[in-house]
Amino acid sequence: MPVRRSSSFRWYSSTDVLSWRGASRRLSPALFVGAAVFLMILSRVQPEAVSSMRASTVDVLTPLLDVLSRPAQAVRDVATSMRDIVLLRADNAKLREENAHMIEWQNAVAILEKENRELRALLNFKTEPRSSYISARVIADTGNAYNRGLIITAGKADGVSEGMAAMTGEGLIGRVIEVGEWSSRVWLISDLNSRIPVTIAETGDRAILAGDNTTQPKLLFLARGASIPEGAHIITSGHGGIFPPNLPIGTIKEISQGSYTVIPTADLGRVTYVRLVDFGLEGRALNRIESKLRAESKNK
Amino acid sequence: MEALWQRLDLWLRAALPLASTLFMTLLGSGAWPIPYLGTVMPPLAFIALFYWSAHRPDLFSPSAAFGIGILNDLVGGGAMLGTSALLFTVAHQIIFQQRSVFAGRSFLMLWTGYCIAATVLMLLQWTMQGFLEWRFVPILPVLTQAVLGIVLFPLPCWILIRLQRFTASPS
Repeated sequence: MPVRRSSSFRWYSSTDVLSWRGASRRLSPALFVGAAVFLMILSRVQPEAVSSMRASTVDVLTPLLDVLSRPAQAVRDVATSMRDIVLLRADNAKLREENAHMIEWQNAVAILEKENRELRALLNFKTEPRSSYISARVIADTGNAYNRGLIITAGKADGVSEGMAAMTGEGLIGRVIEVGEWSSRVWLISDLNSRIPVTIAETGDRAILAGDNTTQPKLLFLARGASIPEGAHIITSGHGGIFPPNLPIGTIKEISQGSYTVIPTADLGRVTYVRLVDFGLEGRALNRIESKLRAESKNK
Repeated sequence: MEALWQRLDLWLRAALPLASTLFMTLLGSGAWPIPYLGTVMPPLAFIALFYWSAHRPDLFSPSAAFGIGILNDLVGGGAMLGTSALLFTVAHQIIFQQRSVFAGRSFLMLWTGYCIAATVLMLLQWTMQGFLEWRFVPILPVLTQAVLGIVLFPLPCWILIRLQRFTASPS
């Protein structure tokens, strides 16, 4: 079909001014501006409605986002394979050494586990609810200058619920914030809105891990005078029921006197698969209460 | 039967600007193989919106700009719903009114126009977001995003220029 080029547009021609068509076209931008302002107010007063709208939209777009993420996945796989081939000998030697070390540990763990079980039985200790896991693939990285997030291919249909901890093999990366039928959105620990109660494994000191949109979240509300060794390990404390306790997060780096950041164990920029941790009904109930309180305080 | 095919062909050609903008919006949120690219991703949706608002506003109406803005907000996650929709609708209107500056002129003119439009849009978005959430995020990633978008503008634009040849002729 030949393409006819013309520089004139039948958009706001002078003959349209008095016609209905012209009037509606003049009015429509103003109407859309009004609708956008209405939506902005709605997301302030009804954040739950907007959240479910987001989840439904992402659900519809999941197949498209999945297709779009495949080439990226293929490139990543090729790069990983090439790296593996290059480092095959070195990796093999390292793994042999680690394996010998692990066998020693395995024996020690078996003895400790038996002892732990016996002591718990003696004390009539109430055990933590067993966690279950759901694995999902990352299909979109929605991180930008304002937030850090991921969209994954698991939703309500797979048993995902709001507040679940998201992990990679290395450690905690974030939490599920919106759940659709087949997809979910994860807020990373580096997101500006992320606040996680943590414990310093070596000293037992408690703090809050606060995201600030950088790759290294900050440690807040650390007890005054707490002496934190550089490189100490940060784990979830389990307080507030937001996350199960003892999930590894990262190591500490001191940036100035009494001011610390955390280097996450997981590489937040290269997450391909995530494992969601369901830690029982109790935790989820607390999560719901927490998100409700957050929404209420935001409205005020 | 031939008339039906002709209508379908015409309809597809007319849908090209909106479809390409939709594609670029989703591409902007996609999982890229480059670590941390998402945080400084050029505003692909706005590049497409800018191009079609300047060259084919008859096939890219204010409703399309509004819809793309809503989609950008919904998929993006963090931004308050309606922010991009408002800015995209206003930007579409301004670009449409100034289209004579770009139509039939050199590519350099289009690039300069985009430079100004993208910088203003991203600074406005940062200010709006800051006042609405009452918390200003660091401006450096926003500026990096804007600069990256300006530097890479010729690449998506080259594709859009080629696509424009397949769009339906103005009627």
